[in-house]
Amino acid sequence: MSSPEDVLRLKQLKESKALQTAWDEWTQTRQLLDNTAPLLDDPDPTMRSLAVDEYTSLTSTLTQFLESTFPSLLVPPSTTSHLSALMEMKSGVGGSESSLFLGDLLRMYQRLANVNRWKAQVVAQNDNDGGGTKDAIIEIKGDGAYDALRFESGVHRVQRVPATESSGRVHTSTVSIVVLPLVEETDTQAEELFSMSDIKLEVMRARGAGGQHVNKTESAVRLTHIPTGITVSMQDERSQHQNRRRAFQVLRSRLLDKKLTREMEERRDTRRNLVRGADRSEKIRTYNFVQERVTDHRIGLTLMNLSSVLEGDGIQDFIDAVKKDHADSILEDMLDVD
Amino acid sequence: MNSRLLARLAISLGRNQASQELRWMNHAISRGHTNLSLEDMVARRALGEPLQYILGTYHMTLLLSFLTLATGSQPFGPLNLLTRPPVLIPRPETEHWVLNLAESLSPAAQNPISLLDLGTGSGCIPLLLCHLWPPGSVHACGVDISPHAMRLATDNAALCGIPQNASAISPQNTFKATFANFLADHFPVGGLRTALPFDVITSNPPYIPWEEYINLPRSVSDYEDPKALFGGPTGLEFYHAIARFLCRKGVLSPNALVALEVGREQAEKVEQVVLSTGLFRHTEIWLDPWGKQRTVIARM
Ligand SMILES: C[S@@+](CC[C@H](N)C(=O)[O-])C[C@H]1O[C@@H](n2cnc3c(N)ncnc32)[C@H](O)[C@@H]1O
Repeated sequence: MSSPEDVLRLKQLKESKALQTAWDEWTQTRQLLDNTAPLLDDPDPTMRSLAVDEYTSLTSTLTQFLESTFPSLLVPPSTTSHLSALMEMKSGVGGSESSLFLGDLLRMYQRLANVNRWKAQVVAQNDNDGGGTKDAIIEIKGDGAYDALRFESGVHRVQRVPATESSGRVHTSTVSIVVLPLVEETDTQAEELFSMSDIKLEVMRARGAGGQHVNKTESAVRLTHIPTGITVSMQDERSQHQNRRRAFQVLRSRLLDKKLTREMEERRDTRRNLVRGADRSEKIRTYNFVQERVTDHRIGLTLMNLSSVLEGDGIQDFIDAVKKDHADSILEDMLDVD
Repeated sequence: MNSRLLARLAISLGRNQASQELRWMNHAISRGHTNLSLEDMVARRALGEPLQYILGTYHMTLLLSFLTLATGSQPFGPLNLLTRPPVLIPRPETEHWVLNLAESLSPAAQNPISLLDLGTGSGCIPLLLCHLWPPGSVHACGVDISPHAMRLATDNAALCGIPQNASAISPQNTFKATFANFLADHFPVGGLRTALPFDVITSNPPYIPWEEYINLPRSVSDYEDPKALFGGPTGLEFYHAIARFLCRKGVLSPNALVALEVGREQAEKVEQVVLSTGLFRHTEIWLDPWGKQRTVIARM
């Protein structure tokens, strides 16, 4: 059932001091509770009432242990907790409505970054003529950004009446999001993600004679990672050098993402729930303007205040809930292992 | 408003380029890199002025005190250089070969090299090398015949934090722009003589021949200095002059390297000119990112 790493991990856990301490405290509390139980039927009313108080307080301590102390000790520490994130957003079905919604989501995540003291920067953005944004890439730098945002990957759906729709009919449109781990150029572990000989680098347009003959800015580049077929095009910066750096950054993120997913899938048989979120075509959330609600379909959570999500910090509630759900499912899997 | 401006730009630039440039203009405004309005920028660009002269840089406000002329900017490798008409705007082809040159040599502070850039313009070539090579490993001189170029190169050096003279305290790369005509028989004169002999000579000399000059896009011919572009009737005059200069005694050190940017279909001819000096054992032609022969490299 359990993989060798799991066995090792459980061993480590058993030996861990924090767990031992928690375990000892829990047993003591249990003991106290057992001692208190008979006093609940004591003939002396003062004694009885004291016992009831004590009993309630001990029970709540035990619950606390079960609900948060043990789980937090048991869930393996994240190996990606130091990583920043790169968020790729693409408008999907729904034409310009979808592009407008992408703009709304972009602002929502920028605000979220602010609240968490991460640094958000748009590194690529294609706007629509009719308003809104066709696609965008934002870099979100800061500790824990990747771990917090990775479960935002998936299809986000909006249901609302477009401003241009005179009949008042509700439209459904989507934006798909992929959150990748961001690899800093200075990060040494990035080295092994690809080798330069596997990269094809192309400049985008023809440039006639070039050199002194031309002073038009043509800085777009495209790079292809031949073994995986991943291509990245970048044109937002005014120099080739900058676009090349950006393109390599995106490539490294995509390759690291592939590697993490692969590692997760290798453990799939024992850790059934961990792969949740790996399917990026899954519809994860609906923002319903007509009913002023937001629903996360993975955990069945609905918040009745849509504007607090899109214009306030309500999104944090979803992020926390999904993160907790993820931690819970890891725990469940670990406890299934004998 | 944006869509009207977009349409206006698209007439001269095409749709894609227009929306890209409009976005860069908006960025410059939102980051406070310019005092111009979007309307003004588009109006100037639509008349053919190069974008690089219009878009400011984040250093601009700092420098405005002593820059009276209009100033734009152009990223060059990791640097962000000032541009100012009529000094030639640094080209991506030049950026590419200079980055490659920086990789292919590795000077060290223990044994600093002496570098000369002929026709330095904005100073882009020596400044990028000074920026990329280790502190104290290179002392660079740039010469130019244009006072505008001289001033711009000096401003850019200040902006990049490259001093004119090394300090005694810590190792530093240095760059000095000097007014000189490198076609003159008595070149180099004055202070430049003390920098002799040179370990590296770089140049992106004017190389556009007459019949191509008259067909240049207006954003080039109407705004950039003819003296920066026109390479004589054949476009090769400057290379012959440079070859004569290289032959003068004491100009090159024993292991010197020469890197010359060239124009359309000039690489092999320039390679011949360089080889005919009999000074070099080895030459190479480097391609630019568009696959065109762009740089002749000669080693002794
Ligand atoms: C094509 S531009 C190159 C500028 C810069 N090095 C670059 O790569 O962007 C040529 C430069 O050579 C300068 N120049 C032209 N004739 C010259 C001469 N006889 N002596 C010195 N400089 C000259 C021009 O003023 C111009 O700045």
